[in-house]
Amino acid sequence: MLFSRGLSRISRNLRGSLNGCRRFPSGRGQNHPLILSNTCQSPGNSSEKVFRSFLFSNGLPSLHSASHQFHNQSSSIIEDQLDPFSLVADELSLLANRLRAMVVAEVPKLASAAEYFFKMGVEGKRFRPTIILLMSTALHVQIPNPSPSNELESILTTELRSRQRCIAEITEMIHVASLLHDDVLDDADTRRGIGSLNFVMGNKLAVLAGDFLLSRACVALASLKNTEVVSLLATVVEHLVTGETMQMSTTSDQRCSMEYYMQKTYYKTASLISNSCKAIALLGGHAAEVAMLAFDYGKNLGLAFQLMDDVLDFTGTSTSLGKGSLSDIRNGIVTAPMLFAMEEFPDLRVVIEGGFDNPANVDLALDYLGKSRGIQRTRELAIKHANLAAAAIDSLPESNDEEVKRSRRALIDLTQRVISRTK
Amino acid sequence: MIFSRISRRNLKGSFDACRWFLCNRHQNHQFLFSHYYHSRGGSLDKVQRSLISSNGPPKLDDTSHQIHYQTSPIVEDQLDPFSLVADELSLVSNRLRAMVVAEVPQLSSAAEHFFKMGVEGKRFRPTVLLLMSTALNLPLPPNELSGTLTTELNSRQQRLAEITEMIHVASLLHDDVLDDADTRRGIGSVNCLMGNKMAVLAGNFLLSRACITLASLKHDEVVSLMAKAVENLVTGETKQMTTTSDERCSMEYYMEKTYYKTASLISNSCKSIALLAGQTTEVATVAFEFGKNLGLAYQLIDDVLDFTGTSASLGKGSLSDIHHGIVTAPLLFAMEELPQLRPVIEDGFDNPANIDLALDYLGKSRGIQRTRELALKHAKLAESAINSLPASEDDEVRKSRRALVDLTHRVITRNK
Repeated sequence: MLFSRGLSRISRNLRGSLNGCRRFPSGRGQNHPLILSNTCQSPGNSSEKVFRSFLFSNGLPSLHSASHQFHNQSSSIIEDQLDPFSLVADELSLLANRLRAMVVAEVPKLASAAEYFFKMGVEGKRFRPTIILLMSTALHVQIPNPSPSNELESILTTELRSRQRCIAEITEMIHVASLLHDDVLDDADTRRGIGSLNFVMGNKLAVLAGDFLLSRACVALASLKNTEVVSLLATVVEHLVTGETMQMSTTSDQRCSMEYYMQKTYYKTASLISNSCKAIALLGGHAAEVAMLAFDYGKNLGLAFQLMDDVLDFTGTSTSLGKGSLSDIRNGIVTAPMLFAMEEFPDLRVVIEGGFDNPANVDLALDYLGKSRGIQRTRELAIKHANLAAAAIDSLPESNDEEVKRSRRALIDLTQRVISRTK
Repeated sequence: MIFSRISRRNLKGSFDACRWFLCNRHQNHQFLFSHYYHSRGGSLDKVQRSLISSNGPPKLDDTSHQIHYQTSPIVEDQLDPFSLVADELSLVSNRLRAMVVAEVPQLSSAAEHFFKMGVEGKRFRPTVLLLMSTALNLPLPPNELSGTLTTELNSRQQRLAEITEMIHVASLLHDDVLDDADTRRGIGSVNCLMGNKMAVLAGNFLLSRACITLASLKHDEVVSLMAKAVENLVTGETKQMTTTSDERCSMEYYMEKTYYKTASLISNSCKSIALLAGQTTEVATVAFEFGKNLGLAYQLIDDVLDFTGTSASLGKGSLSDIHHGIVTAPLLFAMEELPQLRPVIEDGFDNPANIDLALDYLGKSRGIQRTRELALKHAKLAESAINSLPASEDDEVRKSRRALVDLTHRVITRNK
C-alpha cells in the first residue's frame, strides 16, 4: 500500500513527457550536479549527431511529440526527451490490456474486487514494467552474423522479446497480488467496516484475486522453461511477504534501526525490480557479470525510489516540511528521515516509542525532524543509490546499436527522475 | 478444504489403521472385498503364502498383523501402505519443518503451524508419492554408479513430496481464511490465532518456498505440472466461491471443481514422480490416472461421510458441507431422482428447516449409494492403473504397487 501511494505520486508527477521535460531543467539548480555531470559527459559533437538521428529516425511512436522538438532547439540537455515511459508505451499498453482481459474473461467475479488492475492504468505510468522493457532493450545483443538470416535473427529477437515481456507481466501480477494481499483485513478490522458483509466479501475476493494472480504468475514462469528465473521470482514473493511481515511485527529496537529499515525496504520495494532485471539478463543468455549489473541497477533504483518516497511523504510538493500527506507517520511507520533524525536527537526515540496514535507525538516528531538533517540525509542517500544505478548501466558491455543506447540513456534518465521528482 | 477433514478423524498411525480395518471387516464393505478377491481365485492363495513366508514389510512384528495371518484370508492389509514408507516419511517431515523456517519469527510461526509434530495430518499425499516413487523404479544396471543414482533420484522424489505438501498446506491456510474456519487438524487455524493477513502471507510464503524447491529440480516439465496444479487449486476454490445457481446443481460442474480442488494436486504430482524417474510418457500418464482417480474416490467418500459419519445411516455425520452451503455428490444425485429438492437447495441452507428437508429427500433417494458406487468406480480405475504399469521383477517395486492398490481399497472402505 505504501508503494502504491508512492507510485501514484510518481505517476501524477510524470504524466506526459512534456511535464517531465519542463521540470528537469528547473531541477538543475538543485543539489544534484553530480548526477548531471555523470550523464552529460558525452562530447558535444556526438550529442548533436544523436539529436539529429532521433529527429529523423523512424524511431519510436511518440518521438514526434512537440516537446521533444522544443527541447532540441532550446536545451543542450537532451536526456529528457527520451521520456522513458513513452519509449515503451506501446508494449506497455499491450501488457496492460492482456492482463486486464485475462482477469475479466476468466473470472469476471474477481474483476470487481480487483480494482487495482484498472486503477493502475488510470493513474498513469507503470513503473516496474517500464524498467523491465527498457532493460530488455538495453541488454540486447546483435547477433554478429552478416548472413541473410536476418529473418531468423529477428524471429529470435521476437521470441526473446516476448519472453522478456512475459517477465514484465509476471512482475506486474506478483506486484498487484501483493498489494491485494497486503490489504487483507483481520476480523477486527472488518467488523469496524460499514456494511460489514461487503467488507468481508471484499476481503475474500481480495484473497482470491491475489491467489489467482499468483497462480497465473507460476504458470507463466513455468512456461519460460528456465528454472533459474523461476527461482528468482519465487524469491521475490518470499521477500515481499518477509518485508510486509517485518513491517507488521517490528520490535522497538528494530523500528529504530536503519539497517532493519533498509533491509525491509529492499524486501518490499527493491527486490522485485532487482530480481526481474536479473531475470531479463538471464533470459537473454548474458554472462553472470551482466546479470549482476542488471540486478544492481534494479536494486539501487528501487531503493532510491523508496527513499524519495519517504521524503515526499513529509514534504509533499514543497521542499519544506509538513506539506506531505504524512501517511507513514500516521500509520506508525518510521522511515529514513525519522531514523536519521533520531541519530542526531536521541530524545526523538522516546517520542517514536510513544507511538503516533497521539497527534501530539506526531507534531513533536515533525519538530525534531525539522531541526535535524533527516530530510537532507535521506535525499543524499537516495542520490547515492541513484548514482549507483546509473553507474551499473554505464558498466554494461558497450554497444553500437542505437536502440540499445537509447534505452540505456532512458534507464539513466529514470535514475534522475526518481530523485528529482517533487511530488 | 473438504479433503482435510479426513485427516482429523482418520488413520492415526498404522496400528490404528489395522485395528479399524479389523473392526470393520464384517460390515457391509465385505461384499466389496469378496467381490475383489474371488475373481483372483487360486493365484490369490499363492500370493498369500508367498507373503507369509517373505521377509515382508518392516512392521510385521506388530501383533495385529500376525492375528490377520492366522485368521483371515485377506492379507493385503499387512502391507500397511503407511508403514511401508514410515521412515522416509519421517525424513520428509523433518525436512519440511526445516524448510518452512522464515527470517521473521512471526512468519515462521504461521508457516510452520501445520508442520509441527502431531499436527502434520495424515500426510496422505507424501505417502502416495513415496510409494509411487518405489513403484516406478526402473531397473538400473548393476554398476558402481547405480547406488549414487538411486540416492539422487530418491532425494529428488522426496523433494517433490515436500513440494506437494507445502502447496497443499498453503492452500489450506488460504481456504481457512476464505471459510472463516476456526480449527483445523484439532488445533486453532492460523487465521484464528494470528489473523487473516498472517495466514494469507504465510500461505504465500509456503508457495514461494515450494516454487524455489521446484526450481531446484531443474526439470521444466515437472515445474509446469506443479504450476498447473497450483493454478487448478485456485480455480477450484474460485469455482466453489462464485457458482451460479445452475452450476451449483450440476454434477458435471461439481466433478470438475472436485478435480481442481482435490485430485489435480495428487495426479500432477504422481505424474511428476514418473517423469523424475525417467519413465516414458505412457507410464507418466498412467501415474497421472492413478492419482486422479484416487483423489476423486477419496473426495466422493468424504462427501458421503459428511452425511453418514461413523454409521452407515444418514444424519450422523458432521454435516459441515451442507452447513457451509456446499452441495456435494449425494445431494446432486438425489436431485436427479427428486427434482423437488432443487428449490430447497436454491433457497439456501441458512434456513435450518431446509437442511432437514434436504436430508429427508436424501434419505429417500439413492444419493448416498450412487456416490459410493461412483467412488468405487474411480477406485477401481486407480487400481487398474497400477495393474497396467510395466511388469517388474523387483520385490520392492511389487510391494509398493500392492500398497498403492491397497490404498485404493482403504479410500473406499473407511467410514470415518
